[in-house]
Amino acid sequence: MPLDIIVMVKQVPDSQEVVIDPVTMNLNRSLTRNVTNRADENALEVALSLRDKAGGTVTVISMGPPQAETTMYECMARGADRAILVSDRLFGGADTYPTGLTLASTISKIGRFDVVIAGEESSDSSTGHVGPGVAEFLNIEQITYCSNVEYKDGFIVAERELEGGTEVVRTPTPVLITVLLNSNFPRRQTLRRKIDAMKKGFEVWNLEKLGLPPEWVGVRGSPTIVRKMRSIKEKERAAKKYDLSNLGELVKELYEKNILKLEEE
Amino acid sequence: MAGLINAAPVDKPEDYRNIFVYLENRDGQLQRPALEMIGVGKRLAQKVNEKLYCVLIGSKISEMADEAASYGCDMVLGADSPDLADFRTMPYAKIVEDFVKKEKPNIFLIPATRNGRDLASRIAVSCQAGVTADCTEIDIEEDTRILSANRPTYGESMLAEILCKRHRPQMATARAGIFPVPEKVDGSKCEKRIEKVKVDKSLLKKEIIEFRKKEAIDLTAAKVVVSGGMGLGSPAGFKLVGELAEQMNGVVGASRPTADLGWITRDHQVGQTGQTVRPRLYVACGISGKIQHIMGMKNSENIISINIDPNAEIFRYSDYVIVDDVNKVLPALIDEIKKYKKEHLKKAKVASR
Ligand SMILES: Cc1cc2nc3c(=O)[nH]c(=O)nc-3n(C[C@H](O)[C@H](O)[C@H](O)COP(=O)(O)OP(=O)(O)OC[C@H]3O[C@@H](n4cnc5c(N)ncnc54)[C@H](O)[C@@H]3O)c2cc1C
Ligand SMILES: Nc1ncnc2c1ncn2[C@@H]1O[C@H](COP(=O)(O)O)[C@@H](O)[C@H]1O
Repeated sequence: MPLDIIVMVKQVPDSQEVVIDPVTMNLNRSLTRNVTNRADENALEVALSLRDKAGGTVTVISMGPPQAETTMYECMARGADRAILVSDRLFGGADTYPTGLTLASTISKIGRFDVVIAGEESSDSSTGHVGPGVAEFLNIEQITYCSNVEYKDGFIVAERELEGGTEVVRTPTPVLITVLLNSNFPRRQTLRRKIDAMKKGFEVWNLEKLGLPPEWVGVRGSPTIVRKMRSIKEKERAAKKYDLSNLGELVKELYEKNILKLEEE
Repeated sequence: MAGLINAAPVDKPEDYRNIFVYLENRDGQLQRPALEMIGVGKRLAQKVNEKLYCVLIGSKISEMADEAASYGCDMVLGADSPDLADFRTMPYAKIVEDFVKKEKPNIFLIPATRNGRDLASRIAVSCQAGVTADCTEIDIEEDTRILSANRPTYGESMLAEILCKRHRPQMATARAGIFPVPEKVDGSKCEKRIEKVKVDKSLLKKEIIEFRKKEAIDLTAAKVVVSGGMGLGSPAGFKLVGELAEQMNGVVGASRPTADLGWITRDHQVGQTGQTVRPRLYVACGISGKIQHIMGMKNSENIISINIDPNAEIFRYSDYVIVDDVNKVLPALIDEIKKYKKEHLKKAKVASR
């Protein structure tokens, strides 16, 4: 049975070059390059390889500002069949609740799907809440933190990496899956597909298209607010220097200050 | 089940009372993050003079309920069924949603473990609540009973304080390993309301086929952690790290690339994608001090670092630094400890005679 798969991808500031405005304490977006969230590239790879085996389609959706178009083209150049950028000024400032709601109503509007795939978390908000939130809005099963996903006779079989080990689960579709960062090697973009993507283009959907009330989305639809930001003060540490010649003194100090104990409690 | 519905604010936030915490368990054992949540919950409950409720879901949970009670909570709300033996999102989320809708808590805290986040993100939607993920500081304002949920952001350089003023419950997940396990309380009066529940079959479609346990070592409980990094130069370096850990009654930790290369197993990894530790003593052997590693150990009480580079980043986070080749320092340090022990253990014996 072929699979229709929807992948949720987010464009994020490149974490290697985050610049913070010293006055507002906000991210200086004009100085920061945007990239596709890396875990979402792993999510897309899972979708593409499921489709390659089972047949079907891969549709990429993203909620974000117009500059996320680079991410849309990039995903198509890696092999996605269709891309939809959900974009409207009114979506701005959304916390995880309205983000999930906006993406879930996009998915409902698309209509047919068997599997929804997200990254484990985004590098900028790093909550990991948007994927499962979407599953709840759609009232479907979820499998989070997957390192390996397969499709067998109408069932998704996946490995989840948990704190104490690996859990193997099986569930019928429809299901939402979240994929671990670095759990696979995303295929490269090809020039050929890049050209095709440019020709084909991607869709842009706005709030009106989704038909949601404006007070449900963006900052107005968000239960949480950021009251303040402060820089994290590190504990002052003395960095007292020692070398091979005086390690005995260090050891003595550690025991005398009870940092090391002769008899462990 | 939510449906496509917005997060409507509640009419009367004052009707929502008490602090709820979720008790993560596996194989009939409360997990350490569950105890950490009890500690945070107790502190908040005392501050605003409300009750601490523990939500416990599983199979044969009465012993765990007793254990939770021994930490001094006011109520254990339990749901017990053989179908709930393992954590599964759908039935667990439904039970928690029902508890929340019935009991109307003001605050709900869940550990930010993988299953904890899996659960919390769903409940936030089904209960139309606001949730702050992965908090490292949690407090409550006495007069307004508003939760102050603080989480690191921008590569851990900043702390964002997040509030949820008009929605209830106010939810947060808390990073594991940050908050201390509370002391047990003698003769605590805790009510236990444990229901045998029947789980709707439609919620049990996800089957757990197997769980492959990792012989995971728990670094978070250790008083001393001795960690090795790429500066060791080869897997053999971990022999010395292990020896020092043994002399210090500690356990072995590691930086991520050493685990990536298979010099040591993943369960020893400290950092953003490993464990968060705060031992009495942390020893960093040949570790450069990249932020992702620092995140996992910077709250240690004392930090010693050994690095050949006099300008190593890790030194900024260290109380004691040893600037030299780790493969020379480790044997010398082990010798000094042995020498010290020999002298002082002898003295101790003589004195006690
Ligand atoms: C998303 C993400 C998550 C990550 N999560 C983690 C994580 O959880 N934990 C983690 O540790 N890292 C993590 N990393 C990797 C992290 O960025 C660093 O690459 C890593 O911590 C470096 O490990 P290291 O200090 O052992 O190695 P290096 O950075 O290579 O440092 C080796 C150090 O050894 C010193 N040295 C060399 N030779 C000697 C000698 N003979 N004697 C003494 N010192 C010597 C050098 O001066 C240097 O300071 C993560 C990265 C990413 C992108
Ligand atoms: N604005 C968005 N557009 C599309 N997908 C998103 C968006 N925000 C989050 N996601 C998806 O949800 C995952 C978890 O994100 P987060 O909850 O922000 O950590 C990401 O890896 C994406 O797959």
